[in-house]
Amino acid sequence: MARRTLFALFLLLVLSANPLQAPLAADLDEQTRALATELRCVVCQNLSVADSPSEMAQQMRAIVREQLQAGKTPEQVKDFFVSKYGEWVLLKPKTTGFSALLWILPYVVLVLGVLAALWVVRRWTQARKSPGQATAPSSITADMQNEFLTQTGEQPGLEDSSPRAQLLRERSRLKDELNELEFDFAAGKLSDADYQGLKQDIQTKGAAVVQQLDALPPERPVKRPQAKAGSIGGQKLAPTQINPRRWQLIAGGVFLMLFGLALGVMLTKSVRERASESDSMTGDFMTGTTPQSGNARSALNEGKQAFAKQDYPKAIEAFKKVLAADPNNPEAHAYMGFILVQAGHGDGALMAFDKALAKAPNFPMALWGKGMVLYREKKDNAGAREIFEKLLNLMPPGEERNEIVKVLAEIPAGSQKSSPSKAATPNAAAPSTSAQISGTITVDPKLKASIDPNAALFIIARPAGAAAGPPLAVRKIDKPTFPLTYSLSQENVMMQGTPFTGKINISVRLDKDGNAVTRGPGDLSGEYKKNPAEVGAKNVDIVLDQIAP
Amino acid sequence: MPWRRLAITGLIIGPILGLLIFGFTRDARYITSPLLAKPGTPFTITMFDGRKLSLEDLRGKAVFLNFWASWCLPCREEARDLEAVWQKVKDKNLVFVGVALQDTDKNAQEFLKEFNITYPNGKDESGKIAVDYGTWGIPESFFIDPQGRITYKHVGAIRAALVINKLEEAAKGIVSAQEGKGDYSPVR
Repeated sequence: MARRTLFALFLLLVLSANPLQAPLAADLDEQTRALATELRCVVCQNLSVADSPSEMAQQMRAIVREQLQAGKTPEQVKDFFVSKYGEWVLLKPKTTGFSALLWILPYVVLVLGVLAALWVVRRWTQARKSPGQATAPSSITADMQNEFLTQTGEQPGLEDSSPRAQLLRERSRLKDELNELEFDFAAGKLSDADYQGLKQDIQTKGAAVVQQLDALPPERPVKRPQAKAGSIGGQKLAPTQINPRRWQLIAGGVFLMLFGLALGVMLTKSVRERASESDSMTGDFMTGTTPQSGNARSALNEGKQAFAKQDYPKAIEAFKKVLAADPNNPEAHAYMGFILVQAGHGDGALMAFDKALAKAPNFPMALWGKGMVLYREKKDNAGAREIFEKLLNLMPPGEERNEIVKVLAEIPAGSQKSSPSKAATPNAAAPSTSAQISGTITVDPKLKASIDPNAALFIIARPAGAAAGPPLAVRKIDKPTFPLTYSLSQENVMMQGTPFTGKINISVRLDKDGNAVTRGPGDLSGEYKKNPAEVGAKNVDIVLDQIAP
Repeated sequence: MPWRRLAITGLIIGPILGLLIFGFTRDARYITSPLLAKPGTPFTITMFDGRKLSLEDLRGKAVFLNFWASWCLPCREEARDLEAVWQKVKDKNLVFVGVALQDTDKNAQEFLKEFNITYPNGKDESGKIAVDYGTWGIPESFFIDPQGRITYKHVGAIRAALVINKLEEAAKGIVSAQEGKGDYSPVR
């Protein structure tokens, strides 16, 4: 016996050692993946640890594998993650404890819904089969017909399915039918003969119902709260009594409206376009993690794209949409600020950047914009320095940070505002450096009559070959007189630190409303015919020879 | 009768709708951490200066544990505050430990240099410490009492006053009911 047991044990060991080990090792990856699909990637939206490419998910997968390899069961591994992150980390809620409700409740609601539907259908069919629809007995008299017409009021309880209640419901239905008939007749939809015939038919049926009601044994007095006002023996009710069916309809309607509204609001707030390939497929519908609505988010993306393509009117429209949905959106305010800078509205830009910073005090884009406006437009060196120092503190090492360091080095030390730069005046544009482009701007004689005396002239420089992006340099001259000599130099570059060198396309626009962003009819424009011009060129002459339709 | 029916309907539907609306407006990540009042998972970390530090060795002291990365803007926001607090309290019976996540040695050390951070700091190479502490957004800070229990968790940048306040609570073993939140960067 002992020998047999030993032999069996030996066989078991032989069979279970090597042959099974390989499949186990091979299965480990599969097990890891299976388990990882049940765990939520904590830095993603509705992606599992298995599907997420994030570094965190990779680390979590490694931990899953390691723990499975160490002999833990999948349940133990899941419990480990739950103990760290809470049950939220499970993509499928547990089927025990309070979470079990999530699994059970839908089925309970489904069963209740089916039962409710059956109950309603049963009631409808009973009402259809009510005895009042039977052929009217021959003994119906004119008195009964009159009684049918004059009787008002008594309504059966909603749960009452007694023969009396059914007859009362049928009487009510026939009365409604009669009212509709009279309405149709009054509206001219029926001939007199038809009306009389149909009316007689309904009255006959009604009289039959009255007859059957009379034939029923007297009703036991029942407590009827509705009968309080002007009822006589529970038979007649106050004329103001409202049909319970109407209540049902009103309640149902209100509920449907509220449900629709709630669903509409939630869906529009939750569903959005995917921001990238790695973004969630379901957006925020299940998590509600974004304060931005789907529309606002797509408008923001639309605005950024339009901004990149220098389509400023479109960008403004999009950012306005964002701000209508989310009035404090810092990104939209910051972009609006940059557009206003380009349009030469320094004060407006400053306000926009301040609005962005009120919501997000450390928003780098708004800090950069505000710093640049203070430095370039307001000549507030101390203010600009303070902003750039704050920004420097926030930015990690990289090109952007180097740019801030450069600007800070440029800003003169001291807390005093620097003296305002020379105002640009027509016919006098003194350059401060030799690296400049200069020339004369004239107007086509045919278009001289179209010059608006209050217009502003924009001289715009773009790097040769650049299809998109903001201009390299812009110069605005209010109320110019022609011919006008001009120059563009490093002073006019839009982004501090960008060198004013190389080949540059020069164009000009005489803008009626003085707003660089909007282009209206009657605006004159022109460009240097030999574009691009090399920095240092002197006779870069331009004729304003185009007029916007 | 209709009123009674309406009331019953409202009583059934109201809570369901309420629950739905509540659920849609919540971020599940902010479910209170299961780690509060639980012992902090022990770990050993190699500091940037080459020494090793073990949480177990710090038993008997209140510990401020801070997860950060050099690429995380809110971490930069709080960095000076944390060092300032450390300078104030370093002679008391407590320890600050910084754990860099998902970062390179070079960038992490430059960060420490830039903000003159002097309290012990090391790097979580495998991300295990971060998972052990349920980290999902950085900076994340944990306050651990002298018995090794987590008394408070803060996701996002934390201000000096709150650090001092929560350190005092940790030293006394007072556990906060809820975690705190501020600006954070999701871990990558």
